[in-house]
Amino acid sequence: MRQVALYGKGGIGKSTTAANLSAALSFQGKSVLQIGCDPKRDSTRMLMHGDLIPTVMDLFREQGERGIRIEDVVFTGYSGVRCVEAGGPEPGIGCAGRGIIATFQILERLGALSGDVVVYDVLGDVVCGGFAMPMREGYAEEIYLVTSGELMSLYAANNIAKAITRLSGRGKRPCHLAGVICNGRGMPGEEDLVREFASAIGSSLICAIPRDRVVQIAELHKRTVIEYSPESAQAEVYRELAKRVMANDLFTIPSPLAIDALESLALSHLQE
Amino acid sequence: MPLSPLPSATCRNEGCTLTGALSVTTAIRDAISIVHGPPGCAHHTFSLFHGAQSSPWDEPPIIVSSGMGEREVIFGGEDALAAAIHLAVQRSPCAVMVLSTCVAAAIGDDIAAVCADLEQEVPIVHVPCGGFLGGTFNDGVVVALTTLTRLDKSDYPHPGITLVGEKNLEYEAESNYHEICRLLHLLGHHVNLRFVRGATMDDLMRIGSSSLNILREPALTPVGERLCKVHGTPYLPSFPVGLEGTLQFLRDIGECTGRAAEGPVDQEMKGQRLMSETFHDITGRRVGPPREGGEVAEALTVELAETFDLAIHETAPPFPMDGSLPVGTAGISRLLHRWRRMVRA
Ligand SMILES: Nc1ncnc2c1ncn2[C@@H]1O[C@H](COP(=O)(O)OP(=O)(O)O)[C@@H](O)[C@H]1O
Ligand SMILES: [Mg+2]
Repeated sequence: MRQVALYGKGGIGKSTTAANLSAALSFQGKSVLQIGCDPKRDSTRMLMHGDLIPTVMDLFREQGERGIRIEDVVFTGYSGVRCVEAGGPEPGIGCAGRGIIATFQILERLGALSGDVVVYDVLGDVVCGGFAMPMREGYAEEIYLVTSGELMSLYAANNIAKAITRLSGRGKRPCHLAGVICNGRGMPGEEDLVREFASAIGSSLICAIPRDRVVQIAELHKRTVIEYSPESAQAEVYRELAKRVMANDLFTIPSPLAIDALESLALSHLQE
Repeated sequence: MPLSPLPSATCRNEGCTLTGALSVTTAIRDAISIVHGPPGCAHHTFSLFHGAQSSPWDEPPIIVSSGMGEREVIFGGEDALAAAIHLAVQRSPCAVMVLSTCVAAAIGDDIAAVCADLEQEVPIVHVPCGGFLGGTFNDGVVVALTTLTRLDKSDYPHPGITLVGEKNLEYEAESNYHEICRLLHLLGHHVNLRFVRGATMDDLMRIGSSSLNILREPALTPVGERLCKVHGTPYLPSFPVGLEGTLQFLRDIGECTGRAAEGPVDQEMKGQRLMSETFHDITGRRVGPPREGGEVAEALTVELAETFDLAIHETAPPFPMDGSLPVGTAGISRLLHRWRRMVRA
C-alpha cells in the first residue's frame, strides 16, 4: 500500500489536486482511499458530487467512539474512490490537531486504511503535532508539498519541510519528502522558481499544474476535472501527475531554507 | 528540554498548581470547587485531601470535575464546564470556584468568558491553574488567594486582623492557628478573618477592610503586596519562627497596631524559659543540620542549639521540620518533643 500526503498553504489547491490525483489513480486501476485531514472537511466534495459526507469527528462527537462502523465514515465517490473526512471542531474552539490524532486512531481500529493508495490531504502549515500525524510512522511515507511561486506559499512549504526533517529521523519506515507540486498562480517564471526551490531543499519538481479556468468550472459543477472534462489538457496534467507519483521512488530528507535564503530566491526570480 | 532541571521539578515544594489552588478554594465554607479538566485531576487532589491528617473540613469538600475527555479536548470543553457549573449551582453553594487545569489551558478554553456569561445568583469565580505554564503548588495558593481578594466589597466596616494563607493541608494548621491567637491575645487582639480556612464568602468579601494582614509564610508576599497596594493594609510576611522570632513578632504586631509590646514580650519570654526547662535533659546532645527549609531552618537550628547547648553535627538527626517550620513558642515545644523522641529511640 502506497500512502502519500499532500501538504501546503491554505487555499493553494491541495484538495483540488488530491481529488483529481485520486480520480486519475483509480482510472489506473488502483483502489484509492482519500482522507481529508482538515476541519474544513471539503477535501472529497468533488469526488462526492458536492455532498459533504459525515466526518469521523462528527460521529465521534455525537456517539463517542463505540458503535462507529466503517460504513459510517468511508463513502464511495466518483470512480470508486473511497472518501473519508476527519472533520474537527468549529473554528476558534477546541483542538483540531487532537481531532486528527483521534481520527487516525479510529480509522486504525476500524481497519479502514486499506487499498493500493491512500491519499492524505492535510491542512495548511503544520500548525501543531496533530497535523503531523499523517507523517508519523505507519502512515504516509511520501510527502508532497503543493505550492505556487508566491512567497507565502513557498514559506509554508518550507515550514512543512522542517516538519518532515524532524520526523524523518524516526522509526523504521519514516516519512520522506517525495517532491514538490507546483500549482500555478499564473506568475511569470513561476515554474522555474518552484523547481529551483525544490532542488534547494533537496527535492525535485514532480509536476507543474497550470492555472486553468476549467478547474473552477468543474468545481461549480461539483466534479473533478477528470470527470467533468476528461478530454481537457488539465485532465491530462492530473493523469500525468498520477503516473509520476506512482513511478516516483526518489524520496529525500529535505534541507529547509533559512527565511532570508528563501526570500532572496524568490527575489531573484522576480519578473515585472 | 524542561525549563527547570528535574531535581527541582520533583521537589516537594513545587507540586501541582491545581492542588495548591484547591487547598484554598475548598476551605471556603459552603462553596463548591469545579475542576475543569480530566476527572483524574480532581480525583488526585481529592484523595490527597482525604489522606491529609488535618483539614478545615468536617466532611470532605465538594470537588466537582467537568469530566473532560477526548471529545472535550477536540471540540472544546466550554459546554462541559457550563454544564458542570449548572449542576453545582443547583446544590445552592455560596459560590462556585472554577479551577482550570493544564489540559483546559493547553486547548485554550475561554473559561473566564464561560464564567462571565452565566448569569447566576452566586458568584462564579475563575481561578486559572494551568500548572504546565510553570506554576507550582505555591503559585496555585497565591493565584487562588489573589483571585479571592478581587471579590472584596469594601463597604463592610469590619477592621481587624486577618490571617492570610494558612496551610490547610499541614498537620499542625489548627495548632498553629491557636498559637497565633494566643500571641495576639497577649496584645489584646484577636483574629478577625481566616483568609481562607472555613470562612464564608461574605467573610472573604471584607478582606479589604482588614487593618493588618499576617501572611502564613513569605512565599505569599505577592498576596500581601497586592492587598497593601489596593487597600493600604500593612502586612507581616510570616507566622513567627524561632524563640527570638516570636518575640519580634509580638513587637511587630505592637508597632503595626499601636500597642505597647514590652509587657507581652516579657510575659512570652517567661513562658519560653518555662518551656525550655522542660527540655533540660537534651542539653549537650548532637543535632543534625536541617535537610530542608533553607536559611530559616538553619537559623532556627542554630538558635535552638545555642539555647540548649547542642552540638551541630552532620550525622546527628536534625529537627524534624518536614515541609513546615514550627510556629511560635508552642511550635518549638512540639518540635523539641518530636526530636527528643527520635534521639531517645
Ligand atoms: N490549477 C488550478 N487552476 C485554477 N483554479 C484552481 C487550481 N487549483 C485550485 N484552484 C482553485 O483554488 C481554490 C482553492 O483550492 P483548494 O483545492 O480548495 O485549496 P486547498 O485545499 O489547498 O485549501 C478552489 O476554488 C480551486 O478551484
Ligand atoms: Mg482543502
